[in-house]
Amino acid sequence: MLNPDGGLLRGTLDVLILKALSWGPRHGYAVAEWVQVVTEGELLVEEGPLYTALHRLEKNGLLTSEWGYSDNNRRAKYYELSRAGRQQLRAEVSSWERYARAVGKALAAASPSVA
Amino acid sequence: MRRVFRVPFKPHVDRDVDDELAFHLDMRVRRLVDAGWSREAAREEALRQFGDLNTVRDSCVAMDQQRERSMRRVNLITELVQDTTFALRTLRHNIGYAAVIVIALAIGIGANTAIFTLVDALLVTTLPVKNPDALVAIGDPRRTGGMSIGSPRSDLLSYQLYKDLARENTVFSDVVATGRSGRLDVRIDSAHQELEHPRGRFVTGNYFSVLGVPVSAGRTFGTEVERGADAAPVATISYGYWTRRFHNDPGIIGKTILVNNLRITIVGVAAPRFTGEVVGIYTDIWLPVAISDALNPNRRTLDDRSAAWLLALGRLKPGATLGQAKQQVPTILQRAIVSNATPSDAKAFLDVKPVYYVESGAKGLSRVRVNFQAPLLTLMIGVALLLCIICANVANLMLARSIARGRELSVRQALGAGRSRLVRQLLTESAVLAFISAAAGLLFAWWGSRTLLRLASAGQLDIGMNLTVLAFTLGVSLAAVALFGLLPALRASRLDLASSIRSGAQSLSGSLGTRGQRAPLGKVLIASQVTLSVVLLVGATMLARSLRNTQATDIGVDRDHLIIVDVDVLARGYRGPALARLAHDLRDRIAAIPGIGAVSFSENGVFSGSDNGTSLQVPGFVARSVQDTLISYDHVGPGYFTATGTRLLEGRELTAADENKPEGVIVVNESFAKFFFPGQPAVGRFIRADSLSLQIVGVVADIHQNGIKEDNLRRMYRPYVNTSQVAQPGSLRLAVRTVGDPTAVVQQIRKTVVSVDSSLPIDGVDPLAKLMERFIAQERLVAQLATAFGVLALLLAAIGLYGLMTYSISRRTREIGLRIALGAQRSRVLRLVLLDAMRLVVIGLVVGIVAAYLSTGLLETQLNGVKPGDPLSIVVAALVLMGAAILAALLPALRAARVEPMIALRSE
Repeated sequence: MLNPDGGLLRGTLDVLILKALSWGPRHGYAVAEWVQVVTEGELLVEEGPLYTALHRLEKNGLLTSEWGYSDNNRRAKYYELSRAGRQQLRAEVSSWERYARAVGKALAAASPSVA
Repeated sequence: MRRVFRVPFKPHVDRDVDDELAFHLDMRVRRLVDAGWSREAAREEALRQFGDLNTVRDSCVAMDQQRERSMRRVNLITELVQDTTFALRTLRHNIGYAAVIVIALAIGIGANTAIFTLVDALLVTTLPVKNPDALVAIGDPRRTGGMSIGSPRSDLLSYQLYKDLARENTVFSDVVATGRSGRLDVRIDSAHQELEHPRGRFVTGNYFSVLGVPVSAGRTFGTEVERGADAAPVATISYGYWTRRFHNDPGIIGKTILVNNLRITIVGVAAPRFTGEVVGIYTDIWLPVAISDALNPNRRTLDDRSAAWLLALGRLKPGATLGQAKQQVPTILQRAIVSNATPSDAKAFLDVKPVYYVESGAKGLSRVRVNFQAPLLTLMIGVALLLCIICANVANLMLARSIARGRELSVRQALGAGRSRLVRQLLTESAVLAFISAAAGLLFAWWGSRTLLRLASAGQLDIGMNLTVLAFTLGVSLAAVALFGLLPALRASRLDLASSIRSGAQSLSGSLGTRGQRAPLGKVLIASQVTLSVVLLVGATMLARSLRNTQATDIGVDRDHLIIVDVDVLARGYRGPALARLAHDLRDRIAAIPGIGAVSFSENGVFSGSDNGTSLQVPGFVARSVQDTLISYDHVGPGYFTATGTRLLEGRELTAADENKPEGVIVVNESFAKFFFPGQPAVGRFIRADSLSLQIVGVVADIHQNGIKEDNLRRMYRPYVNTSQVAQPGSLRLAVRTVGDPTAVVQQIRKTVVSVDSSLPIDGVDPLAKLMERFIAQERLVAQLATAFGVLALLLAAIGLYGLMTYSISRRTREIGLRIALGAQRSRVLRLVLLDAMRLVVIGLVVGIVAAYLSTGLLETQLNGVKPGDPLSIVVAALVLMGAAILAALLPALRAARVEPMIALRSE
C-alpha cells in the first residue's frame, strides 16, 4: 500500500524483502535493486529502512545471514529465508491477495445499493 | 554466488554493519558512475537515496546485538540441557554413589533447616505488627504464663500497677498489658456438650490498636471493653483458630459462645500472620482483661495489687528511646510498688534488690526463647559441624570419582572440549546432585522441624517453615555445591592430558600424575572429618552423661510408683472445711482402689509447677540477708511422706492428730535443718513464720519438687487441714503410691474422682515419671540430637575412610602384588596399609581432642555434674572413633593383603 506521499506502509517492505529472497540468498544491495526493478520505480523505496528491515527480520528469525563474496569478489552479507521466513511469506501473500481482491471489488462496484 | 568464507571468529557487530552498508553504497556509486555520473555526484546521490545513514546504522547494530545476546542465551541453555541430561545419565549409572551423596546432603540440609527454623522463629523473627522495633517489653518475658499472689514482685505487674505505669510514664505513646487466661472452659454452642479449651490470653482494650493488628473479618475490640462490668463481654479470635475450629465461617462473627459459663460475643478475627505477642505459642482467643474477674470469680485480680500476672508492652513515642524507658520504667514501678505495700513488705522487697525487666519487645514475649537459647545455639553449632563433615565427605567422594574419571575427561579434552566446558559439566553434575539433595533435604526438614517442635515443646509450639528458612536451605545447598563441586572440578580439569591417557603404562611407583596429587587433599579431608567428628562426639557424650546424671538424681520420692492427681478445687469454690472434707473423701476413696499402697494430699505436691514461699525467724539464727530467711513451704495431709516414699531422717511425720490445730507442728527437710540448725538436732525446736510459732517434729530427706536442678531446697511442711487464719491451702493435689505399675490404675483413679464430685475439673492424673519428663524433655532432646549428629558424623567419617582406602588400594594393587611376589609377608602388607590409614586418623583425633577440650566450655551452662573438657567423655569419644576407624580400614586392608600377585600384575 502506498502512503499519500508514495512511501511504503510498514509491513509492506517486509513482504517485498521476503519475496526478493524467495529465489535464494541475496545481499542487501541486490534486494534493493530487485524491488526497484519489479516495481518499475512505482514504489519509492528508501534504501536505509530496507536495511533496518533486513536486520529486524533476521533478529526475528525469518532470515538467516552469512558472509560471502559477491560477483565482483567483494565481501558481502547474504540473506536467506529461514523456514519461518518461508511460512511467513506464504501467509503474507495469501492475505495480500484476499485484501487486494476485496478492495478491488469494492472500488469496481457499479451500484450504491446493498443487496 | 560462492560461499567460501565462514566467520571463524566471534562476530563484531559494529564492523559487520559498517561493512555491509559500505558495500551497498559502493555498489550504488559504481552503478551510477557506469551510468555516466561523476564520482562526486554519484557518492552524493547514493547517500541521498539511502536516507539517514547514521540512524539506520545504529538501529541495525542495536538489533544485531539483541540477536547476538539471545543466541548466546540459547546456546547456553542448550549446553545446560546437554550437561544436565548427561549428568543424570552418569548419576543413574552410579546410583550407589549418588544415593550416598543425596542422603548425606539431605540429612545435612534437613537438619540445618530444622534447627534454623526453630532459631528463626524463636530468636530472630520480629512480631508481625506495626513498627515492632518501637515496642518495649516490661516484665520478665519468660513468665508469659505467670500468676503470683502474695508479696510484691518486680517481674510481673498487677493490673493496678500496669495502670500506674500507663498513667505516669512519659516515654510511651501507649502501653498494653497481657496475661495468662488459665484454662478456659469453652462451649461453642449447645449442640456440643464437650468443653473445649482454646489457648486464651487476657489483653487490655488498646491491645490491637497499639500493636497495629489488622483484622481479617469483623472487628477487633477496642478500649470500649475497659468500661468494666457494664461492658458487653467480647472476644477476638485468631485466624488459625477461625480456620481450625470454624472452617473460616464468616457467620461466627457476632456469635455468642460460653466461656467459663459467661456469654461472650466473638466480634472479629485477627489477621492471618498475627498469632499473638507470645512467640512460639499461638493464641486462639483474646479476651479483655476487664472481664477476667467475671470469668474467674474465685480468683479476682483486677483490684488486687498482690496479684502479679501481667506483662506490659509499651510503644515508644517518636524520639523516645529504649534507654530512656530503661531509666524511667523501674523508677515508676518501684515507687508504685513501695507506696502501696505494707512497710514490712516494702522493706523485704527493697532488701532483695529487685530486678526490673525492660527490654526490646520487637520479638515479642516468650517463655521458650530464653529456655531454648543455649540448647539451640549448641544444636546450631552441632548441625553446622555436621554439615561441614558431610561436605568434606561428599567432596571426598566426588574427588575420588572425578579422578577415577580422569581418563574419560582427558579424552574429552583431547577431542576438543574446552577446559571451561569440562568444569561446567562437572559443576552441572554437582548442581544436579545438590538440587536433588536440596529437594530431599527440604522434605526431611519439613518432617524434621515438625517432629523436633513436637518433641521440644510437647505440642506447645506451633511454627511453620518460612521463606527465610527456604532461602537458607537453598543457600546451604548451593554453598555445598560450591564447596564440593568446584574443588574437584578445577582439580580434574588440571589433569595432565598425556600421562592420563597413557595410564595403561603406569609404572610401579604409581607415577600417574593424578595419584600424587590426589592423596594430600583426600587425606586432609579425612583427617578434618575425624577432627570434626571427635568434637561432635565429645560434646554428645558430655550431654548424654549430663542427662544420665539428671535422670539419676535422687529427687527424694519413690518416683516409679507415684501418681499425682491434680483437681481444680478453686473452680468449684471449695475452701476451708469443705476443702478439707473433699481432700479426706478423695483420699479414702482412692485408697480403697486395689493396687494402691498409700494416699495423701498436699497443696503443691511434686512437679506440679506451683510453690509457696515465706520468710521465717529462727531463734538463735542470724540471717546475713533476707535471702537467708526465705523458705518454701507446702501444706500436706497425714502420712504424706509415707505416700511419696520420702525417707524420714529424724522424729516423726505429720499425722491425723496434727490436723485442726491453730498453731501446730511442722516437718522440715534436710536442707532446712542443716541450714538453720547446723550440727544440732532440729526436732523439738521452734520457729516463727507468718506470725505463728511452729514446732519441728520431724526431718525428712529433700524433695526436688520444682525441677531436678533446684537451688534453694529449704522447705517446711505444715498440716493441710489447720485452723490458722493465714495461708489456707488454695489447691489440692493427691499423692498416690501404687504397689505396681502406676499407669495401670490411672483410669480407676479418674473414675473415683468423678464419683466423688462429677463436676470437679480434673487437671491431671499423671504418673510422676511423666511429669518429670516435662522437666527433662528439653535436656533429653538436646542430648539425643547431639548423639544423633555424633553418630552420623562417625558413620560419615568411617565411610570416607573406607572410600579412601578402597580407592588407594585399588590404585596400588600392582604395587602390592609385586611386593608379595617379591616375598613380602601378607601380614606385613596388612600392617603397612593399616598404618597408613591410622596415621591419618590419629592426626585428626589429636587435633579433634584439643579442639574439643577448648570448645566444650560452650556447653557449660547445660551440663549437670559434668565439667567442660570432661576426660572420660573425651576418652569414650576417642575410643569409639578409633574403633570405627579400624573397622572401616580393616576391610580394604584385608582385601589388599589377599591380593594374588599374578592377577594383580596382569591387571591393567
